[in-house]
Amino acid sequence: MLEVRDLEHGYGRRNVLAVDTFTIQTGTVTAVVGPNGSGKSTLLRVLAFLETPRAGILRLDGAPIRTPAERRRARRRVTLVEQTPYLFAGTVQENMAYALSLHGIRRTEGTGRARQALERVLASDLAQRRADQLSNGEAQRVAIARALALEPAVLLLDEPASAADRATSTRLYQVLDEERSRGAAVCFASHQLEDAYRWSDHLVALADGRTGLVTPENLFRTVLPDGGGSKTARVGPLDIRVVTDRVGPVTLAIPADEVLVSNTPLQSSARNEFSGRVVRISEHDRDRVTIIVDVGVDLAARITPSALKELDIQVGATVVLAVKALAVRVF
Amino acid sequence: MELLWDGLRRGAELILGGDPDVVDITALSLRVAVTSTILACGVGVPVGFVVGTTRFWGRRAAITALNTMLAFPTVVVGLVIWGLLARRGPFGGLELLYTWWAIVIAEVILAAPIAAALTAAAVQGIDPRVRRTALTLGATPLRAHLAVASAARFALLTAVTVAFGRVLAEVGAAMIVGGNIRHYTRTLTTAVALATSQGDFALAMALGLVLLALALTVNVILQLLQGRGDA
Repeated sequence: MLEVRDLEHGYGRRNVLAVDTFTIQTGTVTAVVGPNGSGKSTLLRVLAFLETPRAGILRLDGAPIRTPAERRRARRRVTLVEQTPYLFAGTVQENMAYALSLHGIRRTEGTGRARQALERVLASDLAQRRADQLSNGEAQRVAIARALALEPAVLLLDEPASAADRATSTRLYQVLDEERSRGAAVCFASHQLEDAYRWSDHLVALADGRTGLVTPENLFRTVLPDGGGSKTARVGPLDIRVVTDRVGPVTLAIPADEVLVSNTPLQSSARNEFSGRVVRISEHDRDRVTIIVDVGVDLAARITPSALKELDIQVGATVVLAVKALAVRVF
Repeated sequence: MELLWDGLRRGAELILGGDPDVVDITALSLRVAVTSTILACGVGVPVGFVVGTTRFWGRRAAITALNTMLAFPTVVVGLVIWGLLARRGPFGGLELLYTWWAIVIAEVILAAPIAAALTAAAVQGIDPRVRRTALTLGATPLRAHLAVASAARFALLTAVTVAFGRVLAEVGAAMIVGGNIRHYTRTLTTAVALATSQGDFALAMALGLVLLALALTVNVILQLLQGRGDA
């Protein structure tokens, strides 16, 4: 449905995105997870044809979208709801009507569509309210309804439930589920890993503007104790040493490329060493193999095929994984 | 002080009595100011919009150039236009010198940069999400620009008002290229200058009062429009 290849994007001298390939399929929900500043919002704006990437090809239904006219046409089928959405001056109803008028939908049909869309996100009672008097959560729901009313082929949402309470958040994700059933290609960005796992068919992890650097397998929710610098985080049965000033609930990411694999315990600087059984070996390409090791939780390590051969690693074998405390990312 | 009060009293009498000279000069001034403002904003607002909303090579230089043009000395502009329109000048054949169109040309050159610079500042201050939101909802680029203009409407109105004020109050260029010819190119400001030098303080005062009244009226209208927008 919507696909990017060899995407590169940035602002000034700063590179924000470098994504080899990323696809949102029709009738599926894709979640993009990653810490703040990982490029999620930028990726969504590029996918929504609001920013022209420095390099790379976007395809909608297989057709490359290159010229301004093609981008303009594509925008009529792809809609983005930003994390802090903008509502135009006037009432909620007027916002809905404006969006529908841009799609040339007649008032008689539009009114019904607007009402339905607001109902779906539990915002019926907001229709007559002035947009600038809504709370953040209400504004977010109205913006989602405004996008739903357009029945886009591709629906993109940036942290759609960031200002919602638990019950509303569940409702919003159910709506995305309904959109998938309708046949839309849905993609949302979230830093809430549980939401992403629960509501998506595909999960893509983004870190420093790149996909696949952090595998979703190596993301762990935990609560960090008070104090700065080096500390210990509890993840399932594991104690993971990390270096951060963050406290409270966080997500830890262990880049699979930075996990050392050996047959015997190592004499090394790595503060984290876990022993476990290999449960899966998957070969990505000629240069990379990912092995999943059960060390109490599943931990992925990416190594070269030659290393795999040399260490004679097979499913069921016991290996030792080592990770430097500094390699553990916290977000 | 007595001179001032006397001038004020007699000036008010001239206005209330509908003195033909005062009416004539005011009408011409308004015609010049309105025409110049429309033309200056017709050029300046779109230019300011482009400079304020799009990224292009040389944008910083364009903004610097605009800001420099704000400080153009009016007599110098008048002098250059005079040189261009004079019989021996490149556009002498048009025979525009000492007509009210000559004044309009000079005023447009003075006021367009004001409209452009203030428009650029106005649209630059608009939340970038306005344009993005309009676009992602399916707006054409033109309609997205209209959404930005609508969000910036009060600041744009200010740009138009300031341009109008500049044109109405300008004297140096109007004097040089218009020649201050009675019934033809005598505007409020050039008439005030002449009346004062001739010692007709009452007439100068009357015309000065009209100028003030016009400026006040425009600003009151602007305030009313803005007030309605806040409600």
